[in-house]
Amino acid sequence: MARGKLRLYLGAAPGVGKTYAMLNEGWRRKERGTDVVVGWVDTHGRPQTEAQLRDLEVLPRKPVAYRDQTFEELDLDALLARHPELALVDELAHTNVPGSRNAKRWQDVEELLDAGINVISTVNLQHLESLNDVVQGITGVVQRETVPDGVVRSADQIELIDMAPEALQRRLAHGNVYPPERIDAALGNYFRTGNLTALRELALLWLADRVDEELHDYRERHGIAGPWETKERVVVSLTGAPGGAVLVRRAARMAMRTKAELVGVHVRAEDALTGPSSEGLIKNRALLDELGGRYVEVVGAAVAPTLVQVARAESATQLVLGATHRSRLTEFVRGSVVNSVIRASGGSLDVHVIATDERGPESDGPEGAIDATPRRRSRRHGYLARALTSPLPVRRQIGAVIVGLVGFPLATLLLAANRAHIDLSTALSTYLILVMAVAIIGGMGPAALAAVAGFLLSNYFFAPPIHTLTIADTRDIVALLVFLVVAGGVSTLVNLSVRRSSIAAQARADAHMLARVAGRLVSPLGNPLPDLLEDLLVAFRLEAAAILRRHPEGEAGGRADPRPASGTGFVRWDSAAAVGSDPPRTPEEASVAIPIADTAVLALRGPELSGEDREILAGFTAQMAVALDSQRLQAEAADADSLARANDRLSALLAAVSHDLRTPLASIKAASSSLLSEQLQFDPEETETLVRTIDDESDRLSAMVENLLDMSRLQTGSMEIRDRAVDIGEVVSSVLAELGPRADGVGVDIPEDLPLVRTDPVLLERAVANLVDNALVHAEGASPRIEAGAVAGRVDLRVVDRGPGIPPEDRELVFRPFQRSGDTASRVGVGLGLAVARGFVEAVDGDLDLEDTPGGGATLVVRLPAVTPPETGAEPDPAIGAPADPLEGRSA
Amino acid sequence: MTVPPSGSALASQDRDAGARVLIVDDDIALLRALRVSLKARGYEVLAARRGEEGLELAAERRPDVILLDLGLPGIDGIEVVRGLRGWSSVPIIVLSARHQSVSKVEALDAGADDYVTKPFGMDELLARLRAALRRTPSGPEDPRVETEEFVIDLATKQVSKAGADVHLTPKEWDIVEVLVRNPGRLVSQRQLLHDVWGPEYGTETEYLRVLMARVRRKLESDPSRPRYFRTESGMGYRFVP
Repeated sequence: MARGKLRLYLGAAPGVGKTYAMLNEGWRRKERGTDVVVGWVDTHGRPQTEAQLRDLEVLPRKPVAYRDQTFEELDLDALLARHPELALVDELAHTNVPGSRNAKRWQDVEELLDAGINVISTVNLQHLESLNDVVQGITGVVQRETVPDGVVRSADQIELIDMAPEALQRRLAHGNVYPPERIDAALGNYFRTGNLTALRELALLWLADRVDEELHDYRERHGIAGPWETKERVVVSLTGAPGGAVLVRRAARMAMRTKAELVGVHVRAEDALTGPSSEGLIKNRALLDELGGRYVEVVGAAVAPTLVQVARAESATQLVLGATHRSRLTEFVRGSVVNSVIRASGGSLDVHVIATDERGPESDGPEGAIDATPRRRSRRHGYLARALTSPLPVRRQIGAVIVGLVGFPLATLLLAANRAHIDLSTALSTYLILVMAVAIIGGMGPAALAAVAGFLLSNYFFAPPIHTLTIADTRDIVALLVFLVVAGGVSTLVNLSVRRSSIAAQARADAHMLARVAGRLVSPLGNPLPDLLEDLLVAFRLEAAAILRRHPEGEAGGRADPRPASGTGFVRWDSAAAVGSDPPRTPEEASVAIPIADTAVLALRGPELSGEDREILAGFTAQMAVALDSQRLQAEAADADSLARANDRLSALLAAVSHDLRTPLASIKAASSSLLSEQLQFDPEETETLVRTIDDESDRLSAMVENLLDMSRLQTGSMEIRDRAVDIGEVVSSVLAELGPRADGVGVDIPEDLPLVRTDPVLLERAVANLVDNALVHAEGASPRIEAGAVAGRVDLRVVDRGPGIPPEDRELVFRPFQRSGDTASRVGVGLGLAVARGFVEAVDGDLDLEDTPGGGATLVVRLPAVTPPETGAEPDPAIGAPADPLEGRSA
Repeated sequence: MTVPPSGSALASQDRDAGARVLIVDDDIALLRALRVSLKARGYEVLAARRGEEGLELAAERRPDVILLDLGLPGIDGIEVVRGLRGWSSVPIIVLSARHQSVSKVEALDAGADDYVTKPFGMDELLARLRAALRRTPSGPEDPRVETEEFVIDLATKQVSKAGADVHLTPKEWDIVEVLVRNPGRLVSQRQLLHDVWGPEYGTETEYLRVLMARVRRKLESDPSRPRYFRTESGMGYRFVP
């Protein structure tokens, strides 16, 4: 017998219409002639769902006795005996009453399938075993009934019953999902938009079998702690060279696969102000941004160790580099970054070397910028002097020596072998070529050595008498001396031209830096000053830099400076921007202070600066003066703007306050002037009505004044908050007592085992009193209810009214003070009550939200953190009395 | 507002009695106080808390005068005035906590007859109610208006002060006649301009100021503190007998 087919309707949340869909499908099949029996259906009393049963055959339920109670279960045996073609069995996750044949309903369904009966069933997302904890984390509702994922996955068809969160909430509000009285704190929380959206996405992901990949993100977003490995990072080395894009893309793909974060690192040579190809670097950065990567720029003497250092600091596990396109010789001379990185990584870091197609010119090769070997320069000299005297990098010098050590013996051997055909001048010319080569590679020093070597070698091997250092012919002496002079001259020239080009590069770099500075200034985003200072720090190897502004009022300012103002009399300084460690706070603390404008100073600490450096700094300060100026202008404009807005708010507030105060005043005045009027005579009952009006309205007026004061305290932050463990029930009791006979009809439903909350009872009381008052005003005859329940580490207090409700677009408005236009006293515009309530609730670290009352009306929900049991220092002392019945205080 | 001169007081009180007042205001406390006081004065009181409800009651029960709050839940008070004026000329007195004259002018332009600013004294409200009710057609009017300082004969178009005849120019007479024919009632600037100068006038309020100054100089004993011809700033003028 063929196994039956299982079709499942999966819902992200209760109430989306699974049972409805199941019955509908069953009925459709029946119409087509299939023998369909409803094995089990839970309509939850939903009328539309019940209507879907139509004329379907429903199997009688089997009564099962358990512990003096009778439960109803699916009658499996009867269903197997009836053996329809298709059985509809609702709620796959149901747990059978102990004593049934199978512990779970899904096992019953397995039996049906084995018997060759096709089954349609329903299951909710929260019942899936693999998602159970996640759903619980999202909704805070513990779900004990689960179905193994395998059972669900093995279904022949799974259909997701999807519904937009807003639509589901509407269904809930209309009472189509649960009867209104069943909506408690927990359920209300379950159906919050954020939760429903998350559940819905989760359902789609589960269907797409992608939960494992995305679950991590879910946990992160919803703060669900779990044994999840820490995030990996992929570090990609950026040089700005062509081919960088390939690198970035490859690294991004790697990061995506391993759920890692992508970090792009650019190592700037320690004393190079900028790399050779910043345009490429900017492009790489943009691409990195696009791919969700983070950009890091570091300054280091040598690329390889710096790169590895950064990767370690970022706790990266992968490092991506571009493959080199250098000749072997260059690599030999300059060293290979790739090899150095691999050596430095010490095995804890996977180094990926990626071949890039776009081959740039040698100097621009993939390692171009990061391989820009530090041009060490003395900070005490200007550029030209620095360029002429400082030796080229050691590596190049060593390379030159090697060229000499190899070249000279080789040349000598070749020349000696052909001694018959050459004379001294040929040998000297050959050596001269070598000297030049050494000069190009290694500069002055090696070239001088090479010249001497060439002189000695030609003397020894080629100037007769051969193999002695004596010279017989005076012409040979002259030739050798000429060789020395020419070699020296050539190497000086070669050296000079190499230096010149490096000075030109330096100048280009300076120009580039100033251009970048200018670019920052015109960029409309944020404050350019810290970036400017950062540039300075890098460029001049400073310890710290700051822009100090003279305090406008000198000593008159309120803040007393504890440090004695030395030297400059009584001037005080404000730091407009500062970078580096312990930046100078006064010009006196700096090693160099350069005035920027009349009122500001650029204060630097670090090595002394040369004349040229100061010139560049002058360029900087000119730019900074512009930046400071525009900053000041912007601040002034913003000030004026905010003053104007504050003024507008103030007049609106005044109008609203005067209106709200005048309303009770109007009743008082009408009543009192009636009593005083000579035209009017009242009987005692009428007199009492008028006097009572005066009394009530005076209370209203004074409550209003109190709320006004509270509001201003909240707004100025002068509210004193005294937290302690509080029993919500007691708070509600005293609120109701305070409201007096008005609140007689208010229903209260607070469980006795409700956890305590940590809050200020006085503030909470004021907040709840305002909410209840609001509910009474808008209840329109039906009495409001107060409910409380524990949900996911919180206690939710719900004040439920059945008034006209509040349209969604006005939900935030009602919490703003005096949110009403003119004196339109609609529901939007309850003056201060809700604004004060929210202020109080937020002051005690709670939330106040507005929801629809299912079936019509507004529900205000106060969410407060519950006190976790161990912390309950203020646990009720049995001697004082266990937590009282929350209703007790009220009836008193 | 002083009590009307003896003699007419009783007569007017009799006339008020039984008149039906519709109050449209969303403030329950004020409704309660007004209901008690107006009942004590012999009025029949209807009350509505929403604009829509007010319009329905006005159509069903045909009140003689309506007290209308401008700030209402649902449709605004001004909308209520417009709705009423579509089919009814019942006097409307606006009760408003709005002190900005803009909304009052808007209400008057929409067709309201008078306004009282909250909070108000009950005597003042009663006087305004009487004035509004007098406006409704109630038989032949007394063509002679007598005050303590002057006598105006509407039939013969003659004015005398302390026994001597006072000469009024035709425009002065027109404006005095409009005001005196609506004793105690606010006559808006727009209406005065319309009635005295013609339909094409409506915003030339400086004409009114000049003319009223001349009238006061001729009739009031202290023109700088007018007793009879009162100015309601920005609204219009009121003759207080």
